[in-house]
Amino acid sequence: MEMISEIVAIFRRWNTKLLRQPIFLFFSLIQPLVWFLLFTQAFSAIGDIPVFKTLTGTNSYITFFTAAVIIQTIASSALQAGIGLVNDLDSGFMDKMRVAPISKSAILFGKLFSDAISTIIQVVIILFIGLALGVNIASGVVGVLMILVIAATFGIAWSGISLFIALTTKSSQTTLSVGLLTTFPLLFLSASVMPLQLLPSWVQQVAKVNPFTYIAQAFQNLIIRGFVWDSIGYAFIAILIIGVISLGASILVFRKKVS
Amino acid sequence: MDNIVVVENLSKTYGKDIVAVDGISFQVHKGEIFGFLGPNGAGKSTTIKILTTLLEKTSGKASIDGLDIDADQAKVRRIIGYCSQDVGVDDDLTARENLMLQCSFHHIPKEKARSKVDELLRKVRLTEAADRRLKTFSGGMRKRLDLSSSLVSDPEVLFLDEPTTGLDPQSRQDVWDYVKQLNKQGMTIFLTTQYMEEADRLADRLCIVDQGKIVAEGKPNELKANVGADKITLWFKNDDLEACEKAVKALSNLQGIEEVGKCVVGLTTTEGLTIMTKNGSAVVTQVVRALDSAGIELEQLKLTVPTLDEVFIKLTGKTLNVIERKEAVRTGRRGMRS
Repeated sequence: MEMISEIVAIFRRWNTKLLRQPIFLFFSLIQPLVWFLLFTQAFSAIGDIPVFKTLTGTNSYITFFTAAVIIQTIASSALQAGIGLVNDLDSGFMDKMRVAPISKSAILFGKLFSDAISTIIQVVIILFIGLALGVNIASGVVGVLMILVIAATFGIAWSGISLFIALTTKSSQTTLSVGLLTTFPLLFLSASVMPLQLLPSWVQQVAKVNPFTYIAQAFQNLIIRGFVWDSIGYAFIAILIIGVISLGASILVFRKKVS
Repeated sequence: MDNIVVVENLSKTYGKDIVAVDGISFQVHKGEIFGFLGPNGAGKSTTIKILTTLLEKTSGKASIDGLDIDADQAKVRRIIGYCSQDVGVDDDLTARENLMLQCSFHHIPKEKARSKVDELLRKVRLTEAADRRLKTFSGGMRKRLDLSSSLVSDPEVLFLDEPTTGLDPQSRQDVWDYVKQLNKQGMTIFLTTQYMEEADRLADRLCIVDQGKIVAEGKPNELKANVGADKITLWFKNDDLEACEKAVKALSNLQGIEEVGKCVVGLTTTEGLTIMTKNGSAVVTQVVRALDSAGIELEQLKLTVPTLDEVFIKLTGKTLNVIERKEAVRTGRRGMRS
C-alpha cells in the first residue's frame, strides 16, 4: 500500500532529524528529572502517612511518584509535536509535501510515530533513573513493555492536541505555551501526585474526568502491584477517546485549513 | 499549438472582500516558458498556489493537461512540479537525503531513485556537496537543490514562484540557465516574477498582472512594441544650438522617423534632442549618415528601446522598478543607484 511507504518515508525523516538533534530529547527530560530528584526528597514523608500504604500498596513516595514523572515526560514532549509541523509550514517544506501525491494523514502519522519513538527512549531513561533511585517495578520486564506501550500510545493521542493547536494557530509559540500551561494543572488535578482518596473532594471530581488519572493509575499499579487489568483497560479507553478526538480534529483541520 | 494549462475566469477572494485574483483567463502552450510578471500583491503567488492544488479557488475553472485541478487533484499532482518562494528543503538533512525523500514522496523505487538523484545533483552542480547537511549551504545552493527536488518526478509542467527573489546575481544567472535548459528538453514552465529582466530573458510569452487582473498578455517584444517607440537621443558638441537646428532639418526628410524634438537653449546638455521611431536599430544608422553628410559633430548618441517596466507604467501608472530597488535594500544589498 502506498500510504504505508509514505508514512515510513516521513517517519524516517523525523527520526534522522531527531538523531541529529539529540539535545531535544534531553530538553524535555530536564524538568521531569528535576522533579524526580527534588520533589520526591521534599515530599518523602507522604509515604509515612498510614493510609498511603493501604491505598497505594507502597510506603515509598518515590515509587508512587514515578508514574507522575513518566506522564510529565510524555505530556511535555507530546505537546511539542506540533512545533515540527509549524516549522515545516514556515519553511515551505509542507507545501512541497502537499504538492506531492501523498496522503495528508501520512504526513501526520509519520511524525506521530517518530515522536512515539522519542517518547519510548525518554521513558526508558526515566525508568533507569528510577531503578537507580531504588524504585522497584513489580510487574517485571513484561510490565515495563506494557508501560512503554501505554506511554507510546498515550503520547500519540496527546500529541494530537498539539498538532491541532499547531495547525489551527500556525504559531510555534502558541503551541509551546499551551503545552506548558496545561501539563501542570492536569498533573495536580489527577491521581498522579497523590492517591485519589487523599485529594480534596472537588479535586477528586475533576480527577475522575482527567485522563491523566487513568494513565497514572495504570502506571502506579504496574510499578507497585503488578498487572491490574482493570486499570490497564481504563488507561486504554482514555487513550482511545483522546486519540479519536484529537487526531480526528487534526486530520480535519489539516485537510481543510492548511494553505 | 497545444494548450497545457487552461485557466478560465479564475478568482480567489480571501474573507469577504479581499480579492487576490480577479477573474483571470489565460493559456499556457505546451513546451513554452510562460511568465507572470507583476509587483508584490498582484496575485501571482495565489494563482500559482491554486494551479498547484495548494489553495482552493473561489470561482472559475482551471485544468492542467486536460485534468481539472479540483476533480482530478491527485492526477494533477503527479504531473506537476512546484518550487515555492520559500526554499522548501529540510536543513537537518543532506542534499542527497532531501532528494531521496522527494523520490519516496513520488513512489519512485529505490534503485531508480538513486540514479535519478545522482543525475539531478550533477545537473545542479551539487555532487560534491551531496552528503553535506544544508545548514552549510549558501542561498544559491539551497535554491538549486530546491529546484531539483521539484524535478524528481519528471513533471510535465514546472511551476516556479519567484525563483530568483533574494538571490545574488551569479545564482540568479545559474537558475536562469537551468530553467532554460529544462525548457529545451521539452518541459513546460510557468514562472512568476517581479523582475522585468527575468521575464524578458526567460519568458516566451507573459502576462502582466496587477491587483489580481491581467493587464497585458503577449510575447515580450510585442508588448514592448505596443508601448511605443524606440528613442534615439542626440547630444551636440559644445551644446551647439545651431548644430541642433541643422540636425532637425537634416532629419526631417528621413523615412521611419515619427517625431523629432525641438531645439531649445540648454537642451543638448541635459535631456538631449530626442527622435522617436518604430525601428530604432535600423533608423539609427540613417541618422548617423544624415548628420555626417550635413557636417554635424555629435558629442553622444543613445538608442533606448522600451522595457517591460515601461509597458507596466503605461498600463498601470506605476513602476515595477521601485519594487526591485526595495527588494535590494531588504535583502541587505546596496541599492542599484548610487
